[in-house]
Amino acid sequence: MKDPLSPNTQAILLLTAPLIIGRASEGERPLSAGDYNRLATHLRAIGRKPADFLEASSETVLHACREVVDLDRLRRLLERGFLLSQAVERWSSRALWVVSRADPEYPRRLKTRLNEMAPAVLYGCGDVRLLETGGLAVVGSRDVDDSLVAYAESVGELTAQTQQTLVSGGARGVDQAAMRGALRCGGRGVDVLADSLEKAALNREYREALLSHRLVLTSPYDPSAGFNVGHAMQRNKLIYALSEAALVVSADVDKGGTWAGATEQLDKLRCVRVYVRSTGAPSPGLDALRAHGAEPWPNPTNGHELATAMRARESSTLSG
Amino acid sequence: MTFDPDRALSLLRIGAGDASATFREGQDEAIRRVVEGRRRLLVVQRTGWGKSFVYFIATKLLREADAGPALLVSPLLSLMRNQLAAAERMGVRAATINSDNQDDWCEIEDRLRTDEIDILLISPERLANAHFVTSVLSRIAPRISLLVVDEAHCISDWGHDFRPQYRRLERIVRTLPANLRLLATTATANDRVMDDLKAVLGPNLDILRGELHRPSLTLQTIRLPDQAERLAWLAATLPTLTGSGIVYTLTVRDAEEVAAWLRARGIDALAYSGQSENRADLERALLENRVKALVATTALGMGFDKPDLAFVVHYQSPGSVVAYYQQVGRAGRALPAAYGVLLSGQEETHINDFFIDGAFPSRAEVEKVLEALTKNPNGLSVPELFGQVNLSKGRIEKTLALLSLEAPAPIAKQGSKWQLTAAMLDDSFWQRAERLTALRRAEQAQMQSYAGLTAGHMEFLVRALDGDPTGIAPPPLPPLPASVDQGLVREAVVFLRRTSLPFEPRKVWPPGGLPMYALHGNIPAAQQAQPGKALCRWSDAGWGALVREGKSSHGRFDVQLVSACTALVRAWNPEPAPTWVTCVPSLRHPHLVQDFAERLANALGLPFHAALTRSEARPEQKTMANSTQQARNVDGSLALAAEELQPGPVLLVDDVVDSRWTLTIAAWLLRRQGSGRVWPLALAQTGGGE
Repeated sequence: MKDPLSPNTQAILLLTAPLIIGRASEGERPLSAGDYNRLATHLRAIGRKPADFLEASSETVLHACREVVDLDRLRRLLERGFLLSQAVERWSSRALWVVSRADPEYPRRLKTRLNEMAPAVLYGCGDVRLLETGGLAVVGSRDVDDSLVAYAESVGELTAQTQQTLVSGGARGVDQAAMRGALRCGGRGVDVLADSLEKAALNREYREALLSHRLVLTSPYDPSAGFNVGHAMQRNKLIYALSEAALVVSADVDKGGTWAGATEQLDKLRCVRVYVRSTGAPSPGLDALRAHGAEPWPNPTNGHELATAMRARESSTLSG
Repeated sequence: MTFDPDRALSLLRIGAGDASATFREGQDEAIRRVVEGRRRLLVVQRTGWGKSFVYFIATKLLREADAGPALLVSPLLSLMRNQLAAAERMGVRAATINSDNQDDWCEIEDRLRTDEIDILLISPERLANAHFVTSVLSRIAPRISLLVVDEAHCISDWGHDFRPQYRRLERIVRTLPANLRLLATTATANDRVMDDLKAVLGPNLDILRGELHRPSLTLQTIRLPDQAERLAWLAATLPTLTGSGIVYTLTVRDAEEVAAWLRARGIDALAYSGQSENRADLERALLENRVKALVATTALGMGFDKPDLAFVVHYQSPGSVVAYYQQVGRAGRALPAAYGVLLSGQEETHINDFFIDGAFPSRAEVEKVLEALTKNPNGLSVPELFGQVNLSKGRIEKTLALLSLEAPAPIAKQGSKWQLTAAMLDDSFWQRAERLTALRRAEQAQMQSYAGLTAGHMEFLVRALDGDPTGIAPPPLPPLPASVDQGLVREAVVFLRRTSLPFEPRKVWPPGGLPMYALHGNIPAAQQAQPGKALCRWSDAGWGALVREGKSSHGRFDVQLVSACTALVRAWNPEPAPTWVTCVPSLRHPHLVQDFAERLANALGLPFHAALTRSEARPEQKTMANSTQQARNVDGSLALAAEELQPGPVLLVDDVVDSRWTLTIAAWLLRRQGSGRVWPLALAQTGGGE
């Protein structure tokens, strides 16, 4: 835990985080990303910051924001201070941390690439600095055959051998196979989880890598939050944004999180180059992604080749 | 929020039940600052100053302005009953959730849900309870408008009574946003404690601090090494004092024994400890002067407020000057004069050492627990840990509690299982343990200096607490006699040797069962032992020394122990009476217990039969640290000596009883083979409460 939390982070958590310490979250619903962004923009415009809501003079700033967010709602969210302390205690006792957009530890990549879509807070376990190391994102389906598992593992191994970070989504199937390959070869990994960070942080398989600063688990969702399809979709953009290039190992056409995340990246966000697997069994999903602009994976075998593949498109065009 | 002074005063008058009551110095100012909520507030005032009026009136004013409920964290909740009555008069709906009132929890949870509670009082331990935090606290946490931290000195490492759970509270306070109202209160804080509190509570802090000197107290110290001498002194002195008071002991056992002795001498005294079931009744008896004295452990503590308490006598020296000042300071609050006498005895150093040495787990203990968790990637429940780690229940629980209080903690509880986290135990844990242990030793030494004083007692205390010792007047009362009547001392010796300790039979086999005997689950009533008796505690002042001598050096128990046990059995008079005697056999000392049992049988006029044998030598039970380990250690090692068994009820003799597993298994063997009821008798009891 970044100790102690800055007043800005406290205020952002009060406004946006569900602060789950029990079965049900009680009380006022926290601000959505959209609501919070409107509020943050307004605060900037009037020369204020979130921490001002916690000061003795908070009434002035509260009233100045009443047109953006309902005043009573703001008050009820801000009075959750004791709840915040309980949630922070729960996280810190489990070796979890939290950073907000106001903190210097918050990964710059997310801010510059996602702008307002960058989540207001990130939770995590392990060395937060790994989030700044870029690397190769490897994504794919949950249900895949042994050959694709072996393929994903081999890509993970390659990132380890070439000192690149492996970025993935921690899901069953391709994600976990790639991370397994990277970690067992002594590599570095970033797992962007959509749910249950608290449980993953206690998973014995990750412990050694977490302790030796080779793995960081992170999630924009409350560490106690369970699986949620919308969350799984939303965290895809973080996987891409934290990496320098992405490899899609498998995907279904027009359905599933892998497809949605890859097409969003190819059609809309365009943060990084997106590759698709180019060896092994053919895949209609991957072919369809090619049609959206994904490139065939050049199957690098050493550090130089991988670095070349991960270089942004403009520069590769220049050098080529 | 704006403060309404008129409403505050009228609440005080309603609460105090006095239409002309006025605020004590600083009280209304404190309430104003809490209600306005611009800065945090630390109130350092002696007990009885009226801190409870501050938080109850502040709570009422906040609730009248539609704010959420208040949460009060205090280590000693059950002692606030008289304050709660005042709160009720003011219309403050207070409720407490603690381990003593589980029957009320559901109702309180309902009332919390419907916002019908104004202030919830909890112990810091509650905040470590997963059910409480997730199911109860989570309901009100989003709306809590005021946090009151009582006995705030515990937040400081330098606070005299180290309460591990305040580590969590310290972190909670540090993470609270500035817009949450915070009131911290304590009766004592020296400069070091104040510095810590300022660091934790933050720069945005106001402090209200009162005076330390207590002119009504006459302090005195008397060294009387033996317990019998101190019992004699109490029996002779208490009747000469006017009014009623408190006698403090360091252990529950001493509280009970001293109270029993005083009653035997015709003095109206009752024992009070954390284990007393009727604590409210006992407190009331003292408040209403219906007893001469409560003989109490520190469980009769900080919140107890009796303005006319006439004396506080310590049967043993507490561990620090601050603890002593707080305890003795309960005397004479509203009296012109009162006595505070410290009797200092030889066993107090041993007892205080035990508390100091046991406060932190050792490196070996931590290693054992972490090693067991490392071997089990899916975690271990507490009963599973008992099976895997040869440490006592208390030590395992202490180790888990203290490790899990670190942040980040090396272990965490997920569901019912303890697991390793992605954090290693930081070296600061050990540095802190060493620093605090050294501090406790220094405090203990300071208290021994106090015990040796012949004059200037109040000056010593005020100086030790960083107060101003100038201008302290001489004590108002003459000193009490320091000598003791030797006849009374002899009677006290006899009394100490007359008590015996009952112990209950075990009714369930250990978790995981006893594989060699193929036993598990409940023990059928017809195969259980009867309730047993031990002559003494291994370490006590009565027979303990003689038992230890017999076991360690002489190889034979003294004849006095035979007559003592004969008298014990006669007084005990178990029904149906035993018709024969047997004993627990030992391969290590084959004659010691059997010789004693034979002599006892002879004295009781009963036959002795060696009905049991040891089939296999095992390590001594005392090397097995918890009940599960001890049960396994006996598993398969005892057998019947012959097919044919003497019929009829039997007295089963052993030298030392600890986990009771040996006696439980011996009784099971005997009863299964058709003996009558089995009455266990041991010379000494160890473990358990020690």
